[in-house]
This record gives sequence, structure tokens and C-alpha cells, in this order.
Amino acid sequence: MKLLLSQCKAELLRVFRNPYYIFWSLLMPVMFYFIFTRVVNAGNGEPAEWAAHYLMSMTTFSVMGSAIMTLGIRLVQERSQGWTTFMRVTPLPGWIYFLGKMIGQTCMHLISILFIFAAGCLINGVSLPALTWISCGLWILAGSLPFLAIGTLIGTMKRADTASGVSNGVYLALAVLGGMWMPIEILPKFMQLIGKWLPSYNYGNGAWEIIRGQAPEWRNVLILLGYFLLFMVLSTYIRKKQEVV
Amino acid sequence: MESILEVNQVSKTFKDKKAVNRISFRIDKGDIIAILGPNGAGKTTAISMMLGLLEPTEGTIRLFGKPPKDRTVRERTGAMLQEVSVMDRLRVKEVLELVRSYYPNPLDMETLVRLTGLAEGDLKRFAEKLSGGQKRNLGFALAMAGNPDLLFFDEPTVGLDISARRRFWDRVRELAALGKTVIFTTHYLQEADDNADRILLFHQGSIVADGTPEEIKSRIVKRAVSVLPRDEGPDLREKLRRLPMVSECYDKDGRIYLATEDTDVTLAALFAQNLGVRDIRTEQGRLDEAFEQLTLNLKEAK
Repeated sequence: MKLLLSQCKAELLRVFRNPYYIFWSLLMPVMFYFIFTRVVNAGNGEPAEWAAHYLMSMTTFSVMGSAIMTLGIRLVQERSQGWTTFMRVTPLPGWIYFLGKMIGQTCMHLISILFIFAAGCLINGVSLPALTWISCGLWILAGSLPFLAIGTLIGTMKRADTASGVSNGVYLALAVLGGMWMPIEILPKFMQLIGKWLPSYNYGNGAWEIIRGQAPEWRNVLILLGYFLLFMVLSTYIRKKQEVV
Repeated sequence: MESILEVNQVSKTFKDKKAVNRISFRIDKGDIIAILGPNGAGKTTAISMMLGLLEPTEGTIRLFGKPPKDRTVRERTGAMLQEVSVMDRLRVKEVLELVRSYYPNPLDMETLVRLTGLAEGDLKRFAEKLSGGQKRNLGFALAMAGNPDLLFFDEPTVGLDISARRRFWDRVRELAALGKTVIFTTHYLQEADDNADRILLFHQGSIVADGTPEEIKSRIVKRAVSVLPRDEGPDLREKLRRLPMVSECYDKDGRIYLATEDTDVTLAALFAQNLGVRDIRTEQGRLDEAFEQLTLNLKEAK
């Protein structure tokens, strides 16, 4: 337990000292939020609903980003620089190392959620019932799992540059096609079709449903779960294969 | 004497290349062991297997009587690997505290800080900002964090300047005096000779010699007797060549050299036969040269 605590503490310290996290996961989404709700109003329909809708878009966008990029790139860095090897020589069990990372990552997501929700209240006076706020927060936390799995998949790459390029590409493609930047309805029909099968759309849609007083669709839950399993199996398989060599 | 490490008929094959070939040895408590060999001799592969980072293809390794991956083994071993890296965005002190927390009986912080040899100001810096030499010092302290009984250093002095090198070996000797066992790899014979109690000479994945530095040296350093001819007779070289223990006779720098297995015997015969030579000297080949020659000869013999 003491081991896990000190591991989490170290991971958290590293998160807060990372200027990229502060910029990409906190400031960028809030900036986008401000632009697309106050400067150009991109929504159709009721402004208050759009303000809440886009707030969820940006929160999911932020959490998806830190799950894919921070985790993936960091895993590659630690391995390529030999730190992972050093950790294997110490008595620290591998699962504590991994769990510490996951808890650190979850805390980081929680902070992003709270920060961006708070920004929504301040910028647009978004007001939702307490239960809705909490459900949205929990959905976004739990729904980050498939993206963490993508992160571990990217984490199996050899070079930090490749990992950073690939994760950036995947991240932006997922965000645009999943309707996080703009509502998916404004995309061409065939892109919408692809988008609706992507984890990002299903992730966002859960939160969009909740703010409209509905529960996330079963389809959303199942697709996210499916992706989670797929990426976990893939990254475990690749890791095993790398270890054999 | 307590046996710390036992390696029994261990091989490692990568794809179809045999990196380590049926090595066996036993290491006792308190020894400083050098694993010596040219680059690509299988030193790092051997160390990685002892540390449980690589699985041997064949054979068994026991540390403190247990397999390398056993947690109690990890708690009693420390290692400084070739690439010393640290977690980014953690301060030197935080990294030390973190790694200390992994062990049941860590060294106290004060001693660790002293081991890094870093100034107070550097301890507050981010570990990744340290210079290469400072990172090595930190790596050394990290290896010591758990107050281990057995230490592995893989090419510990690469990239260190002379004074840092000397400081490193001073600290290693201090550790051995405390009863700790140290295993290090190097490709400098001189370094192994100066610092180890025992040398395991690796070549192409096999142990080609195992003994004290003295034993290894007498095996691989070629001794020679050199003379100047007093009156150049046609059969002088032939006579010299036939002296006991002489393996070779050649001219170098205007002198005649007699490579010999035993200079005493050769000299005695040289005087007894009163051959036409003067200015007799015995020569000691240079260690590094001899080491190079040995590994070269082995390669040619293959």
C-alpha cells in the first residue's frame, strides 16, 4: 500500500510539472470552448443546450487526448530511455508500477473534468442538475478506458517520435470524425457513418445524452467496451511478442 | 564461504545467433568480479540474464539460492545498467526517495546523498537535467538505494573522466570492504586488473579464462627475451630458436626477440650454451596488447 501511494505521488507530480498537459488538456479545450460558444456560435438550436453540449465535447476531447497521448508517449519514453528496464531490476512489482500509472492518469482526468466543467460554468453559466454533472463526470472517467488502451498500444512503439506523431494523428482524426469539434451532423453522410462507429463519437454521445436527461445508449456502452477489449488484447499480444525476442 | 551467485551451463540464443554459450561459474561473498571481454563478447547478455531481464535459453541461474526474478533476490541486489536514465520531471531527491521506498531496508537518505556526490543545489534539480557524469553518479546511488548485498555494474566507467573513474573505484572498494559482492563488465583489461579479485574472460559468448588477474595475465601476456648478436653467425637464429621453451624467434627494432613460456629456463640455457649474444633483456608484453592478441588468436583459431 505504501508502495502504491509513493508511486501514485510520483506519477502525479510528473503530471503537474508537464507543461504540455497543462496546455493541451486544460487550456486548449477551454479556449476552443470559448471560441465556439461565445465568438462563433456553431450550434444549431438552443444556445443553452449548445453550451452544455459543447462543454461535454471539449471535456471528452481533453480526456481522450491525455489518455492517448500522455500515457502512450510516456510509456515509449520510459522504455526507450531504459527506465522501464531499471524498474524491472527493483523489487517493485510490475502491477504496482502499472496501477500507479493508471491511478495517476485517472486523477489527471478527474482534474481535467473539474477544470473544464468549472470553465463552462464561468464562461457560459452552464447549469445542470447536480446528478447530471456527476453522471457526466463518471461517464467521462469510465469511458476513458478504451482510450487508455489505445495509449498502451501506442506505448508499444519503439521510438518516441513515431509514437508522438501517430498519437497526434489518431487523436485529431478521432476528435473530428467523432463530432467532438463540430456536431457530427454537419459532416458528409459517409463520414458520419464512419464516425458513428468510432470510439470517440460513442464516448461523446454518452455525455451528450446525459445532459439531455437521457441515459447513454446501449450501443455506446457496447462499442466502447468492444474497443477496450480489442485494444487491450492487441497491446498485450504485442508486448508479449516483444518480450520473447 | 557463502555462495552468492551460481550460473550453471547457461546459454542464450537470439534468433540463430548464440550470444552466450554454456557458461558456468560460482561467485562467493565479498568478491569483486570483472566480466572482461571485447565488445560483442556476450557480457551484457550474461549480466541481463543474471538480473532476470532475459530468460536463458538453457541452463539455470541462482542468486542467493533463488531464481533471479524472486522478489527477495531483487531486494538484495542493486544494478547500474549501461544506459542510466531517470524518470523525467522528478527532482533528484524525489527519485532517490521513490526508489528507496521499494526496498524493505533502504540505505538512509544522508548516505545516499553522499554517494551521489552531488551538491545541495543539484539535488533540487530535475533529474533529467543533470549532466552525463552526474546522471551516472545518481545511477550509482540508485543501485545502492536498497542497501544491496550484490551489485551489478554494466560498463560502469564508460564516459567518465579519469578523476570520476578513480572516485568510482574507490567507492567500489569501500563496498567490497563492507562484505558486498560486486560484478562489473568492462572491455579494458587494465581496469579489470586494477580493481577485480577475479576475472571472467569472455570471448564470443564463452568463458575462455577464469582466475585471479595474476593468473589471467600470466596466461595471456607473452614474455620474451631479447638479445643483440655479438658476432653474427649464420646459424645463430637457428640455435636461439632451439633453446628450451622458446616458441618464436624474430627481429624487431634491431634486436632479436625470443618469445618464451618461461624466461627463467630460457635464460639459464642461453647462458649455459654461451651463444654469441650480448645485452640480454627480458621483456614484458603490454597487457592491453596481449589481451587484444589473445582475442584475435581465438578468432583466428575458430
